[in-house]
Amino acid sequence: MKHEYKETLLYVENLSVGYDDTIIIKDISLIEKDVVREGVDCTGQVIAFVGRSGRGKSTFFKALTGLIPTNSGKILIRDFENKEPNAAKSVCEGDIGFVDQKYTLFRHKTVTEALKFSLRKTTLSNTEKDQKIKEYLKEWGLENCKDKYPNELSGGQRQRTAIIEQLFSSDQFIVLDEPFSGLDVGNIEEVKKSFELLGKSSESNTVIFSTHDIELAIELAQTIYVIGHPTINGKKENYGTIVAKYDLRDMGLSWKDYCDDHLKLSKEIIHQMMIS
Amino acid sequence: MIKILTPFEKISKLNKTLILVGWLVLLIIIWFATTSGEKHLFPSPAQVLTGFSDLYREGLVVHIFNSLKLCFISIFLATIISLFFAYAWPIPLLKSISEFITKFRFLPFTGLSFYITMVIHEARMMQVWILVIFLTTFLTTSLIAVIKDIPQEEFDHAKMLKCNRWEVLVQVIILGRIDYVIDVIRQNLAITWMMLVTVESIVVASGGLGFLIKNSDKFMNTGRIIALQIIILLIGLGLDAGINYLRKVVFRYSKI
Repeated sequence: MKHEYKETLLYVENLSVGYDDTIIIKDISLIEKDVVREGVDCTGQVIAFVGRSGRGKSTFFKALTGLIPTNSGKILIRDFENKEPNAAKSVCEGDIGFVDQKYTLFRHKTVTEALKFSLRKTTLSNTEKDQKIKEYLKEWGLENCKDKYPNELSGGQRQRTAIIEQLFSSDQFIVLDEPFSGLDVGNIEEVKKSFELLGKSSESNTVIFSTHDIELAIELAQTIYVIGHPTINGKKENYGTIVAKYDLRDMGLSWKDYCDDHLKLSKEIIHQMMIS
Repeated sequence: MIKILTPFEKISKLNKTLILVGWLVLLIIIWFATTSGEKHLFPSPAQVLTGFSDLYREGLVVHIFNSLKLCFISIFLATIISLFFAYAWPIPLLKSISEFITKFRFLPFTGLSFYITMVIHEARMMQVWILVIFLTTFLTTSLIAVIKDIPQEEFDHAKMLKCNRWEVLVQVIILGRIDYVIDVIRQNLAITWMMLVTVESIVVASGGLGFLIKNSDKFMNTGRIIALQIIILLIGLGLDAGINYLRKVVFRYSKI
Protein backbone atom coordinates (compact mmCIF):
# COMPACT_ATOMS: atom_id res chain seq x y z
CA MET A 1 0.00 0.00 0.00
CA LYS A 2 1.41 3.39 -1.04
CA HIS A 3 2.18 5.88 1.68
CA GLU A 4 3.61 9.35 1.84
CA TYR A 5 5.44 11.25 4.60
CA LYS A 6 3.97 14.66 5.41
CA GLU A 7 4.90 17.13 8.14
CA THR A 8 7.01 16.35 11.18
CA LEU A 9 5.01 15.47 14.29
CA LEU A 10 7.77 14.61 16.75
CA TYR A 11 11.39 15.73 16.73
CA VAL A 12 13.87 14.60 19.37
CA GLU A 13 17.50 15.68 19.19
CA ASN A 14 20.41 14.48 21.33
CA LEU A 15 18.27 13.86 24.40
CA SER A 16 20.17 12.98 27.57
CA VAL A 17 18.95 12.32 31.10
CA GLY A 18 20.98 11.56 34.18
CA TYR A 19 20.75 11.66 37.96
CA ASP A 20 23.72 12.83 40.01
CA ASP A 21 26.72 11.34 38.20
CA THR A 22 24.83 8.54 36.47
CA ILE A 23 23.77 8.92 32.87
CA ILE A 24 20.57 6.97 32.18
CA ILE A 25 19.98 7.81 28.51
CA LYS A 26 22.17 9.74 26.10
CA ASP A 27 22.10 11.08 22.55
CA ILE A 28 18.60 9.94 21.65
CA SER A 29 17.48 11.45 18.37
CA LEU A 30 14.45 10.62 16.26
CA ILE A 31 12.03 12.16 13.81
CA GLU A 32 8.48 10.95 13.30
CA LYS A 33 6.36 12.31 10.47
CA ASP A 34 2.69 12.18 9.65
CA VAL A 35 2.06 9.34 7.25
CA VAL A 36 -0.78 9.41 4.75
CA ARG A 37 -1.92 6.29 2.96
CA GLU A 38 -3.54 6.14 -0.40
CA GLY A 39 -7.24 5.32 -0.13
CA VAL A 40 -7.29 5.44 3.68
CA ASP A 41 -9.02 8.33 5.47
CA CYS A 42 -7.02 8.29 8.66
CA THR A 43 -3.69 6.73 9.57
CA GLY A 44 -2.43 7.47 13.02
CA GLN A 45 1.20 6.80 13.85
CA VAL A 46 2.11 3.90 16.10
CA ILE A 47 5.70 3.75 17.34
CA ALA A 48 7.12 0.98 19.53
CA PHE A 49 10.15 1.04 21.79
CA VAL A 50 11.67 -2.27 22.73
CA GLY A 51 14.70 -3.12 24.78
CA ARG A 52 15.84 -5.15 27.71
CA SER A 53 14.96 -4.08 31.26
CA GLY A 54 17.02 -1.26 32.72
CA ARG A 55 17.95 0.26 29.35
CA GLY A 56 16.11 3.53 30.01
CA LYS A 57 12.81 3.12 28.19
CA SER A 58 10.72 4.46 31.09
CA THR A 59 13.19 7.31 31.68
CA PHE A 60 12.98 8.22 28.00
CA PHE A 61 9.17 8.23 28.18
CA LYS A 62 9.18 10.40 31.30
CA ALA A 63 11.57 12.86 29.64
CA LEU A 64 9.51 12.84 26.48
CA THR A 65 6.35 13.71 28.40
CA GLY A 66 8.06 16.40 30.46
CA LEU A 67 7.76 14.53 33.76
CA ILE A 68 11.49 14.63 34.44
CA PRO A 69 14.00 17.30 33.43
CA THR A 70 16.53 16.55 30.71
CA ASN A 71 20.26 17.26 30.96
CA SER A 72 20.51 18.23 27.32
CA GLY A 73 18.67 17.90 24.04
CA LYS A 74 15.55 19.12 22.39
CA ILE A 75 12.01 17.72 22.15
CA LEU A 76 9.67 19.39 19.68
CA ILE A 77 6.13 18.44 18.70
CA ARG A 78 3.78 19.76 16.04
CA ASP A 79 1.96 22.84 17.30
CA PHE A 80 -1.62 22.14 16.24
CA GLU A 81 -2.85 25.55 17.38
CA ASN A 82 -0.51 27.22 14.89
CA LYS A 83 -1.83 26.77 11.38
CA GLU A 84 1.57 27.47 9.75
CA PRO A 85 2.98 24.36 8.05
CA ASN A 86 5.56 22.53 10.18
CA ALA A 87 4.95 24.83 13.18
CA ALA A 88 6.56 23.22 16.23
CA LYS A 89 6.75 23.83 19.95
CA SER A 90 8.85 22.54 22.83
CA VAL A 91 7.18 19.88 24.94
CA CYS A 92 5.71 20.99 28.25
CA GLU A 93 4.18 18.83 31.01
CA GLY A 94 0.81 17.63 29.72
CA ASP A 95 1.40 18.19 25.98
CA ILE A 96 2.08 14.49 25.51
CA GLY A 97 -0.32 12.18 27.33
CA PHE A 98 1.15 9.41 29.44
CA VAL A 99 -0.56 6.19 30.46
CA ASP A 100 1.42 4.15 32.97
CA GLN A 101 1.40 0.39 33.47
CA LYS A 102 -1.21 0.63 36.24
CA TYR A 103 -3.60 2.81 34.18
CA THR A 104 -3.73 5.36 37.00
CA LEU A 105 -6.94 7.38 37.25
CA PHE A 106 -8.30 9.78 39.87
CA ARG A 107 -9.73 7.40 42.47
CA HIS A 108 -12.41 9.90 43.53
CA LYS A 109 -13.83 10.61 40.07
CA THR A 110 -16.27 8.54 38.05
CA VAL A 111 -15.44 7.90 34.38
CA THR A 112 -17.62 10.84 33.26
CA GLU A 113 -16.20 13.16 35.92
CA ALA A 114 -12.64 12.18 34.96
CA LEU A 115 -13.25 12.83 31.27
CA LYS A 116 -14.94 16.15 32.04
CA PHE A 117 -11.93 17.13 34.14
CA SER A 118 -9.53 16.31 31.31
CA LEU A 119 -11.53 18.59 29.00
CA ARG A 120 -11.54 21.50 31.46
CA LYS A 121 -8.85 23.46 29.61
CA THR A 122 -10.41 23.16 26.17
CA THR A 123 -12.50 25.92 24.62
CA LEU A 124 -15.53 23.66 24.20
CA SER A 125 -18.84 24.67 25.79
CA ASN A 126 -20.35 22.44 28.47
CA THR A 127 -22.85 20.99 26.00
CA GLU A 128 -20.09 20.24 23.51
CA LYS A 129 -18.01 18.60 26.24
CA ASP A 130 -20.95 16.41 27.28
CA GLN A 131 -21.54 15.50 23.65
CA LYS A 132 -17.89 14.63 23.06
CA ILE A 133 -17.76 12.50 26.22
CA LYS A 134 -20.95 10.71 25.20
CA GLU A 135 -19.56 9.97 21.73
CA TYR A 136 -16.29 8.58 23.05
CA LEU A 137 -18.00 6.50 25.74
CA LYS A 138 -20.15 4.91 23.06
CA GLU A 139 -17.33 4.39 20.57
CA TRP A 140 -14.96 2.94 23.16
CA GLY A 141 -17.61 0.68 24.75
CA LEU A 142 -17.70 2.46 28.09
CA GLU A 143 -21.35 3.57 28.14
CA ASN A 144 -22.22 1.20 30.99
CA CYS A 145 -19.31 2.46 33.07
CA LYS A 146 -19.95 6.18 32.86
CA ASP A 147 -20.90 6.48 36.53
CA LYS A 148 -18.40 3.96 37.86
CA TYR A 149 -15.32 4.73 39.94
CA PRO A 150 -11.92 3.28 38.95
CA ASN A 151 -12.15 0.56 41.64
CA GLU A 152 -15.36 -0.65 39.98
CA LEU A 153 -13.81 -0.97 36.48
CA SER A 154 -12.09 -3.93 34.83
CA GLY A 155 -8.45 -3.62 33.69
CA GLY A 156 -9.51 -3.04 30.08
CA GLN A 157 -12.10 -0.42 31.04
CA ARG A 158 -9.56 1.40 33.19
CA GLN A 159 -7.06 1.40 30.36
CA ARG A 160 -9.56 2.76 27.83
CA THR A 161 -10.65 5.47 30.25
CA ALA A 162 -7.00 6.42 30.88
CA ILE A 163 -6.32 6.63 27.13
CA ILE A 164 -9.38 8.79 26.36
CA GLU A 165 -8.55 11.04 29.32
CA GLN A 166 -5.02 11.63 27.99
CA LEU A 167 -6.31 12.03 24.45
CA PHE A 168 -8.73 14.76 25.59
CA SER A 169 -6.10 16.60 27.55
CA SER A 170 -2.94 16.25 25.44
CA ASP A 171 -2.12 17.36 21.92
CA GLN A 172 -2.82 14.10 20.10
CA PHE A 173 0.31 12.37 21.41
CA ILE A 174 0.02 9.44 23.77
CA VAL A 175 2.80 7.50 25.41
CA LEU A 176 1.96 4.12 26.96
CA ASP A 177 4.51 2.47 29.21
CA GLU A 178 4.23 -1.28 28.74
CA PRO A 179 0.47 -1.34 28.12
CA PHE A 180 0.45 -5.12 27.64
CA SER A 181 2.32 -6.20 30.72
CA GLY A 182 0.35 -8.53 32.94
CA LEU A 183 -2.73 -8.59 30.68
CA ASP A 184 -4.60 -11.71 29.68
CA VAL A 185 -5.42 -12.54 26.04
CA GLY A 186 -8.81 -10.80 26.21
CA ASN A 187 -7.38 -7.60 27.62
CA ILE A 188 -4.56 -7.57 25.04
CA GLU A 189 -7.21 -7.69 22.33
CA GLU A 190 -8.99 -4.74 24.00
CA VAL A 191 -5.77 -2.70 24.03
CA LYS A 192 -5.17 -3.56 20.38
CA LYS A 193 -8.67 -2.28 19.62
CA SER A 194 -7.83 0.95 21.50
CA PHE A 195 -4.78 1.42 19.26
CA GLU A 196 -6.96 0.88 16.22
CA LEU A 197 -9.52 3.43 17.46
CA LEU A 198 -6.77 5.95 18.16
CA GLY A 199 -5.35 5.53 14.66
CA LYS A 200 -8.74 5.90 13.05
CA SER A 201 -9.92 8.91 15.05
CA SER A 202 -7.32 11.42 13.81
CA GLU A 203 -4.62 11.62 11.17
CA SER A 204 -2.22 13.23 13.63
CA ASN A 205 -2.76 10.85 16.56
CA THR A 206 0.60 9.45 17.53
CA VAL A 207 0.84 6.48 19.88
CA ILE A 208 4.21 5.64 21.37
CA PHE A 209 4.49 2.50 23.48
CA SER A 210 7.03 0.21 25.02
CA THR A 211 6.75 -3.55 25.21
CA HIS A 212 8.72 -6.73 25.80
CA ASP A 213 6.50 -8.57 23.33
CA ILE A 214 8.32 -8.22 19.98
CA GLU A 215 5.57 -9.89 17.97
CA LEU A 216 2.99 -7.44 19.32
CA ALA A 217 5.31 -4.53 18.52
CA ILE A 218 5.66 -5.76 14.93
CA GLU A 219 1.91 -6.32 14.63
CA LEU A 220 0.92 -2.89 15.88
CA ALA A 221 3.74 -0.45 15.16
CA GLN A 222 4.93 1.15 11.96
CA THR A 223 8.28 2.12 13.44
CA ILE A 224 10.22 0.12 16.03
CA TYR A 225 13.14 1.54 17.97
CA VAL A 226 15.47 -0.67 19.98
CA ILE A 227 16.86 0.97 23.08
CA GLY A 228 19.98 -0.60 24.50
CA HIS A 229 23.48 0.00 25.78
CA PRO A 230 25.63 0.94 22.75
CA THR A 231 29.08 -0.44 21.97
CA ILE A 232 31.45 2.37 21.05
CA ASN A 233 35.02 1.61 19.94
CA GLY A 234 34.64 -1.92 21.23
CA LYS A 235 33.52 -0.80 24.69
CA LYS A 236 29.97 -1.39 25.93
CA GLU A 237 28.62 1.82 27.44
CA ASN A 238 26.36 1.95 30.49
CA TYR A 239 23.68 4.30 29.22
CA GLY A 240 20.66 3.71 27.01
CA THR A 241 20.29 5.02 23.49
CA ILE A 242 18.63 4.02 20.24
CA VAL A 243 20.72 1.18 18.83
CA ALA A 244 18.44 0.25 15.95
CA LYS A 245 15.45 1.58 14.06
CA TYR A 246 13.09 -0.39 11.86
CA ASP A 247 10.61 1.43 9.63
CA LEU A 248 8.09 -1.24 8.80
CA ARG A 249 6.38 1.01 6.25
CA ASP A 250 9.53 1.31 4.15
CA MET A 251 10.23 -2.38 4.65
CA GLY A 252 6.76 -3.16 3.27
CA LEU A 253 5.73 -4.91 6.49
CA SER A 254 3.13 -2.47 7.81
CA TRP A 255 -0.64 -2.86 7.47
CA LYS A 256 -0.39 -6.47 6.32
CA ASP A 257 -0.91 -9.91 7.82
CA TYR A 258 1.85 -11.64 9.76
CA CYS A 259 4.21 -13.55 7.44
CA ASP A 260 7.76 -14.98 7.28
CA ASP A 261 9.27 -11.54 6.80
CA HIS A 262 7.77 -10.44 10.13
CA LEU A 263 9.30 -13.49 11.77
CA LYS A 264 12.73 -12.63 10.33
CA LEU A 265 12.37 -9.09 11.61
CA SER A 266 11.40 -10.39 15.03
CA LYS A 267 14.60 -12.47 15.18
CA GLU A 268 16.67 -9.50 14.05
CA ILE A 269 15.15 -7.26 16.76
CA ILE A 270 15.73 -9.89 19.45
CA HIS A 271 19.37 -10.16 18.26
CA GLN A 272 19.77 -6.37 18.53
CA MET A 273 18.28 -6.44 22.03
CA MET A 274 20.58 -9.21 23.15
CA ILE A 275 23.77 -7.51 22.01
CA SER A 276 22.86 -4.20 23.60
CA MET B 1 -10.85 -30.74 65.46
CA ILE B 2 -7.22 -30.75 64.29
CA LYS B 3 -8.12 -28.06 61.76
CA ILE B 4 -8.91 -25.45 64.42
CA LEU B 5 -5.52 -26.02 66.01
CA THR B 6 -3.52 -25.90 62.75
CA PRO B 7 -1.94 -22.54 61.84
CA PHE B 8 -3.32 -20.76 58.69
CA GLU B 9 -6.10 -23.32 58.31
CA LYS B 10 -9.32 -21.92 56.85
CA ILE B 11 -12.50 -22.60 58.80
CA SER B 12 -16.18 -22.01 58.05
CA LYS B 13 -18.18 -19.00 59.30
CA LEU B 14 -20.25 -21.27 61.56
CA ASN B 15 -17.11 -22.68 63.18
CA LYS B 16 -15.75 -19.15 63.69
CA THR B 17 -18.98 -18.13 65.44
CA LEU B 18 -18.96 -21.29 67.56
CA ILE B 19 -15.36 -20.61 68.66
CA LEU B 20 -16.24 -17.00 69.58
CA VAL B 21 -19.34 -18.07 71.53
CA GLY B 22 -17.30 -20.79 73.24
CA TRP B 23 -14.67 -18.30 74.44
CA LEU B 24 -17.37 -15.91 75.68
CA VAL B 25 -19.12 -18.66 77.61
CA LEU B 26 -15.79 -19.75 79.09
CA LEU B 27 -15.03 -16.16 80.13
CA ILE B 28 -18.41 -15.82 81.84
CA ILE B 29 -17.97 -19.19 83.60
CA ILE B 30 -14.51 -18.15 84.85
CA TRP B 31 -15.97 -14.82 85.98
CA PHE B 32 -18.75 -16.51 87.93
CA ALA B 33 -16.46 -19.19 89.35
CA THR B 34 -13.65 -16.90 90.50
CA THR B 35 -15.99 -14.40 92.12
CA SER B 36 -18.32 -16.82 93.87
CA GLY B 37 -16.37 -16.96 97.16
CA GLU B 38 -16.38 -14.40 99.94
CA LYS B 39 -12.98 -12.88 99.08
CA HIS B 40 -12.28 -11.93 95.48
CA LEU B 41 -10.24 -9.26 93.77
CA PHE B 42 -12.49 -8.93 90.75
CA PRO B 43 -16.14 -7.85 91.28
CA SER B 44 -18.82 -10.48 90.77
CA PRO B 45 -21.39 -10.20 87.95
CA ALA B 46 -24.00 -9.20 90.53
CA GLN B 47 -21.80 -6.34 91.78
CA VAL B 48 -21.22 -5.13 88.21
CA LEU B 49 -24.97 -5.29 87.54
CA THR B 50 -25.61 -3.22 90.68
CA GLY B 51 -22.91 -0.85 89.43
CA PHE B 52 -24.80 -0.44 86.14
CA SER B 53 -28.12 0.34 87.85
CA ASP B 54 -26.46 2.77 90.29
CA LEU B 55 -24.73 4.57 87.45
CA TYR B 56 -27.98 4.78 85.51
CA ARG B 57 -29.77 6.33 88.50
CA GLU B 58 -26.94 8.87 88.88
CA GLY B 59 -27.41 10.11 85.31
CA LEU B 60 -25.11 7.85 83.29
CA VAL B 61 -26.76 8.95 80.03
CA VAL B 62 -25.95 12.62 80.70
CA HIS B 63 -22.33 11.70 81.50
CA ILE B 64 -22.04 9.67 78.30
CA PHE B 65 -23.48 12.61 76.36
CA ASN B 66 -20.92 14.96 77.95
CA SER B 67 -18.05 12.64 77.12
CA LEU B 68 -19.22 12.19 73.53
CA LYS B 69 -19.65 15.96 73.16
CA LEU B 70 -16.12 16.53 74.38
CA CYS B 71 -14.87 13.77 72.08
CA PHE B 72 -16.55 15.19 68.98
CA ILE B 73 -15.55 18.82 69.64
CA SER B 74 -11.92 17.80 70.21
CA ILE B 75 -11.78 15.54 67.16
CA PHE B 76 -13.39 18.21 64.99
CA LEU B 77 -10.93 20.94 66.04
CA ALA B 78 -7.90 18.63 65.98
CA THR B 79 -8.84 17.34 62.51
CA ILE B 80 -9.05 20.86 61.08
CA ILE B 81 -5.68 21.85 62.57
CA SER B 82 -4.06 18.53 61.52
CA LEU B 83 -5.38 18.83 57.98
CA PHE B 84 -3.80 22.26 57.71
CA PHE B 85 -0.41 20.90 58.81
CA ALA B 86 -0.72 17.79 56.63
CA TYR B 87 -1.69 19.75 53.51
CA ALA B 88 1.16 22.18 54.21
CA TRP B 89 3.63 19.28 54.30
CA PRO B 90 4.25 19.20 50.50
CA ILE B 91 5.12 22.93 50.56
CA PRO B 92 8.91 23.14 51.12
CA LEU B 93 8.74 26.23 53.36
CA LEU B 94 6.13 24.70 55.69
CA LYS B 95 7.34 21.09 55.61
CA SER B 96 9.61 21.48 58.65
CA ILE B 97 6.75 22.92 60.74
CA SER B 98 4.52 19.95 59.91
CA GLU B 99 7.33 17.50 60.68
CA PHE B 100 7.99 19.34 63.96
CA ILE B 101 4.33 19.01 65.03
CA THR B 102 4.51 15.24 64.64
CA LYS B 103 7.46 15.08 67.07
CA PHE B 104 5.33 16.63 69.84
CA ARG B 105 3.53 13.34 70.32
CA PHE B 106 6.47 12.20 72.45
CA LEU B 107 5.85 14.99 74.98
CA PRO B 108 4.42 13.89 78.32
CA PHE B 109 0.76 14.59 78.92
CA THR B 110 1.08 16.24 82.31
CA GLY B 111 3.85 18.73 81.51
CA LEU B 112 1.99 20.41 78.70
CA SER B 113 -1.34 20.46 80.55
CA PHE B 114 0.41 22.52 83.24
CA TYR B 115 1.06 25.31 80.72
CA ILE B 116 -2.47 25.04 79.33
CA THR B 117 -3.89 25.60 82.81
CA MET B 118 -1.88 28.84 82.96
CA VAL B 119 -3.44 30.13 79.72
CA ILE B 120 -6.96 28.71 79.92
CA HIS B 121 -8.88 28.99 83.17
CA GLU B 122 -12.26 27.51 82.28
CA ALA B 123 -12.26 23.75 83.01
CA ARG B 124 -14.27 22.60 80.00
CA MET B 125 -12.12 24.64 77.58
CA MET B 126 -9.05 23.26 79.27
CA GLN B 127 -10.24 19.70 78.64
CA VAL B 128 -10.97 20.52 75.00
CA TRP B 129 -7.57 22.12 74.30
CA ILE B 130 -5.52 19.47 76.11
CA LEU B 131 -7.20 16.87 73.90
CA VAL B 132 -6.93 19.01 70.74
CA ILE B 133 -3.19 19.58 71.22
CA PHE B 134 -2.43 15.92 71.81
CA LEU B 135 -4.75 14.66 69.11
CA THR B 136 -3.29 17.09 66.57
CA THR B 137 0.16 15.54 66.95
CA PHE B 138 -1.15 12.01 66.35
CA LEU B 139 -3.55 12.95 63.55
CA THR B 140 -0.89 15.01 61.74
CA THR B 141 1.53 12.07 61.91
CA SER B 142 -1.04 9.68 60.44
CA LEU B 143 -2.18 12.12 57.75
CA ILE B 144 1.40 12.78 56.61
CA ALA B 145 1.94 9.02 56.46
CA VAL B 146 -1.11 8.78 54.16
CA ILE B 147 0.38 11.46 51.86
CA LYS B 148 3.78 9.73 51.84
CA ASP B 149 2.08 6.51 50.75
CA ILE B 150 0.52 8.04 47.63
CA PRO B 151 2.21 6.40 44.62
CA GLN B 152 4.24 8.71 42.34
CA GLU B 153 2.04 7.58 39.42
CA GLU B 154 -0.93 9.48 40.89
CA PHE B 155 1.02 12.74 40.94
CA ASP B 156 2.35 12.11 37.42
CA HIS B 157 -1.16 11.34 36.22
CA ALA B 158 -2.45 14.69 37.50
CA LYS B 159 0.51 16.52 35.95
CA MET B 160 -0.19 14.81 32.63
CA LEU B 161 -3.71 16.25 32.73
CA LYS B 162 -2.15 19.72 32.80
CA CYS B 163 -2.77 20.26 36.52
CA ASN B 164 -0.59 22.95 38.04
CA ARG B 165 1.10 22.14 41.35
CA TRP B 166 -1.82 23.50 43.43
CA GLU B 167 -4.31 21.48 41.40
CA VAL B 168 -2.15 18.38 42.01
CA LEU B 169 -2.36 19.10 45.75
CA VAL B 170 -6.14 19.54 45.60
CA GLN B 171 -6.94 16.62 43.28
CA VAL B 172 -4.48 13.99 44.49
CA ILE B 173 -4.06 14.80 48.18
CA ILE B 174 -7.09 16.77 49.35
CA LEU B 175 -9.92 15.30 47.25
CA GLY B 176 -8.18 12.05 46.36
CA ARG B 177 -7.55 11.08 49.97
CA ILE B 178 -10.55 12.59 51.79
CA ASP B 179 -11.81 9.12 52.71
CA TYR B 180 -8.46 8.38 54.33
CA VAL B 181 -9.03 11.34 56.69
CA ILE B 182 -12.05 9.53 58.11
CA ASP B 183 -10.04 6.34 58.42
CA VAL B 184 -7.22 8.19 60.18
CA ILE B 185 -9.77 9.58 62.67
CA ARG B 186 -11.10 6.05 63.19
CA GLN B 187 -7.63 4.62 63.75
CA ASN B 188 -6.80 7.35 66.25
CA LEU B 189 -10.18 7.05 67.96
CA ALA B 190 -8.91 4.49 70.44
CA ILE B 191 -6.20 6.85 71.64
CA THR B 192 -8.69 9.77 71.66
CA TRP B 193 -11.17 7.82 73.73
CA MET B 194 -8.46 6.68 76.14
CA MET B 195 -7.07 10.23 76.50
CA LEU B 196 -10.56 11.66 76.93
CA VAL B 197 -11.33 9.55 79.97
CA THR B 198 -7.95 10.48 81.48
CA VAL B 199 -8.46 14.19 80.79
CA GLU B 200 -11.95 14.07 82.32
CA SER B 201 -10.49 12.54 85.46
CA ILE B 202 -7.61 15.06 85.69
CA VAL B 203 -9.59 18.21 84.93
CA VAL B 204 -13.06 17.95 86.39
CA ALA B 205 -15.57 20.04 84.43
CA SER B 206 -19.00 18.88 83.27
CA GLY B 207 -18.86 15.30 84.47
CA GLY B 208 -18.29 12.60 81.89
CA LEU B 209 -17.21 8.96 82.06
CA GLY B 210 -13.70 9.83 83.31
CA PHE B 211 -15.22 11.78 86.19
CA LEU B 212 -17.42 8.80 87.10
CA ILE B 213 -14.42 6.44 87.09
CA LYS B 214 -12.46 8.77 89.33
CA ASN B 215 -15.35 8.97 91.82
CA SER B 216 -15.83 5.22 91.85
CA ASP B 217 -12.08 4.77 92.29
CA LYS B 218 -12.09 6.93 95.41
CA PHE B 219 -14.58 4.66 97.18
CA MET B 220 -13.09 1.43 95.83
CA ASN B 221 -16.41 0.63 94.20
CA THR B 222 -15.06 -2.08 91.90
CA GLY B 223 -18.49 -3.12 90.58
CA ARG B 224 -19.06 0.40 89.28
CA ILE B 225 -15.54 0.63 87.84
CA ILE B 226 -15.96 -2.55 85.79
CA ALA B 227 -19.46 -1.46 84.71
CA LEU B 228 -17.95 1.84 83.51
CA GLN B 229 -15.06 0.09 81.76
CA ILE B 230 -17.57 -2.06 79.89
CA ILE B 231 -19.57 1.03 78.90
CA ILE B 232 -16.44 2.88 77.72
CA LEU B 233 -15.29 -0.14 75.72
CA LEU B 234 -18.70 -0.61 74.07
CA ILE B 235 -19.04 3.08 73.16
CA GLY B 236 -15.50 3.06 71.71
CA LEU B 237 -16.24 -0.03 69.62
CA GLY B 238 -19.56 1.48 68.53
CA LEU B 239 -17.87 4.70 67.40
CA ASP B 240 -15.23 2.71 65.52
CA ALA B 241 -17.83 0.67 63.66
CA GLY B 242 -20.01 3.75 63.04
CA ILE B 243 -17.18 5.78 61.49
CA ASN B 244 -16.09 2.85 59.32
CA TYR B 245 -19.66 2.39 58.11
CA LEU B 246 -19.95 6.14 57.38
CA ARG B 247 -16.75 6.07 55.29
CA LYS B 248 -18.02 3.18 53.18
CA VAL B 249 -21.45 4.74 52.68
CA VAL B 250 -20.26 8.28 51.86
CA PHE B 251 -17.27 7.29 49.70
CA ARG B 252 -18.25 4.53 47.29
CA TYR B 253 -14.74 4.44 45.84
CA SER B 254 -13.14 3.89 49.21
CA LYS B 255 -11.51 0.50 49.58
CA ILE B 256 -8.92 0.77 52.29
